[in-house]
Amino acid sequence: MTRRVVLVLVIALALVAGSATPGLAYAPVDIVHTEQVQAGPYTITVGFSTWPIRAMRSLDFTFAPAGGITGKSGLLTIAAPGSGNRRGLSRLVRHPRKRDVWGLDVFALDKPGAYTFGFLLDGPQGRGEGSLPGLQVLDQPGPPLPLSWSVASLPLIALIGLIAVAWRRVRPGRRVRYTLEA
Amino acid sequence: MGSLTPSLAGAGGAPPTVIAAGGNPPAAAIGAWLVQLGTVISLVGLSWDIQWHIEVGPDTFFTLSHLALYSGSALSGITSLVMVLRSTAAQRAGRPLGREVGGAGVRVFGGAFSAPLGYLLSGVGAASFLIYGLLDLWWHSIYGFDAVLNTPSHVALFLSILLTMVGVVVTFAAGGERTWARTGLTLAIPIVITFAPIPFTALSDLPIPLDPMQLGSILCAPTLLIMARMVLGRWGAVRVAVTLGGLQAVLWWFSSWATESYAAAIGLPLRDNLRASAPQLPSLIPFFALVVAVVIEGLLRLGRTGRLSPSVLTPLLGSAAGLLIAVSLPIQLDLTDPTTHTSAGELVILPVFGLVLGLAAGYLGTRLGVLLKVVDR
Repeated sequence: MTRRVVLVLVIALALVAGSATPGLAYAPVDIVHTEQVQAGPYTITVGFSTWPIRAMRSLDFTFAPAGGITGKSGLLTIAAPGSGNRRGLSRLVRHPRKRDVWGLDVFALDKPGAYTFGFLLDGPQGRGEGSLPGLQVLDQPGPPLPLSWSVASLPLIALIGLIAVAWRRVRPGRRVRYTLEA
Repeated sequence: MGSLTPSLAGAGGAPPTVIAAGGNPPAAAIGAWLVQLGTVISLVGLSWDIQWHIEVGPDTFFTLSHLALYSGSALSGITSLVMVLRSTAAQRAGRPLGREVGGAGVRVFGGAFSAPLGYLLSGVGAASFLIYGLLDLWWHSIYGFDAVLNTPSHVALFLSILLTMVGVVVTFAAGGERTWARTGLTLAIPIVITFAPIPFTALSDLPIPLDPMQLGSILCAPTLLIMARMVLGRWGAVRVAVTLGGLQAVLWWFSSWATESYAAAIGLPLRDNLRASAPQLPSLIPFFALVVAVVIEGLLRLGRTGRLSPSVLTPLLGSAAGLLIAVSLPIQLDLTDPTTHTSAGELVILPVFGLVLGLAAGYLGTRLGVLLKVVDR
């Protein structure tokens, strides 16, 4: 019996290890929608791997200046809906799964509304600034968040319940003094 | 569901299995340490996975760090199941195991199983990890495969792992004064200190003036250090703090090394915008836990000399420990990531949080320590 269990476990582990070829399954960056942005002398094609965009749903963004990224650098700002607050000022970097363009990998915008992506580019033709205003992000998909969080908190409720039962049985407060003096 | 009815040692008139010479039944030690090995693998896997997403990015279900996470829970879960079945079989044969094997027995499914409390907790945590893994898959199918910590499915997975880690603490505490148990507990508590702040990321969207994981550190580290002192006795907090430092050093080295070596091995480049900052998970572990532990030991020594009454001692222990952890956070942040800035407001708020959460930590830590002291009785 024990030998059979061990054999099954070994076979299962071998199957998992054998199928774990990490390079095989990296999702390609499939762009399904694009927008054009003019930043001074530079035309940037902004690509989206899902369209339309929904709040909290992550996707790949690509930022491809005409003529390629070689010899160019840039900054990206993201203005949240309504507030006008800019979510950081970050350097445009190559997309880890599409290294010939800049991008954001599996990145989500958290709230619905109209976002503005701002670009500041430096390159052989000097500096250029432009933006993609009114990028509409629809409501989040899936069940309401309070329901998801309620389901997620069940292990915590179980832990608190267990401590409460043990607490009621032992009444640890009565023994603290003795243990502190030990 | 089970009922918390102690039913093993001495139940039904049958004496508990006699402990082998030397007081260390091998199966009890092996079972406890195997479940602990699972939690260590999970912790290492998580630290590696976080670092992978920061430094490299692309991942699949089968990246090595993911496999470490899954296999850690699998090892803990399978071992817990074996120990529960073993306990049930022994109970049915009229030779119940002693309570040093995972603690008091709990009747599960109307008495169909007799599960030692520690193994029940670690097993339920591992089973819960499996179920929430399916939920996580569903979540990603709706929301995409982003690598943020604070989604409901990720927090549920963290809570499941935490449940397993708590089960390990209970299992080792049940071993009482045996060497394998005390050594195991000296590692199990630092593992919980490292891991417990992570589920606090669930509070990220709430309007609190601190990083939720810092909040978790300020509450959990003092609670668990005080608990360690209560259950392990003199110098227990110091031993746990030293072990915590060792764990931090290992994770610090391993997380970056494994990430960069693995990326090189499979031909993936590092991200362009990497800053020279410390590995994320180990840099969240309190740097000054040893100072806090020494203060706890010192205050308890004052208590023993009669200069501090127990009613003063508990809140004093907690607030001192909480305050020290809280005020050391900006220093730690500055050491690990010099580009961050702690605002004047945060400098005022941190000590307040330290005192308030520290008071809670004193109350909880002393009482959880008492609960662990009696888990084998």
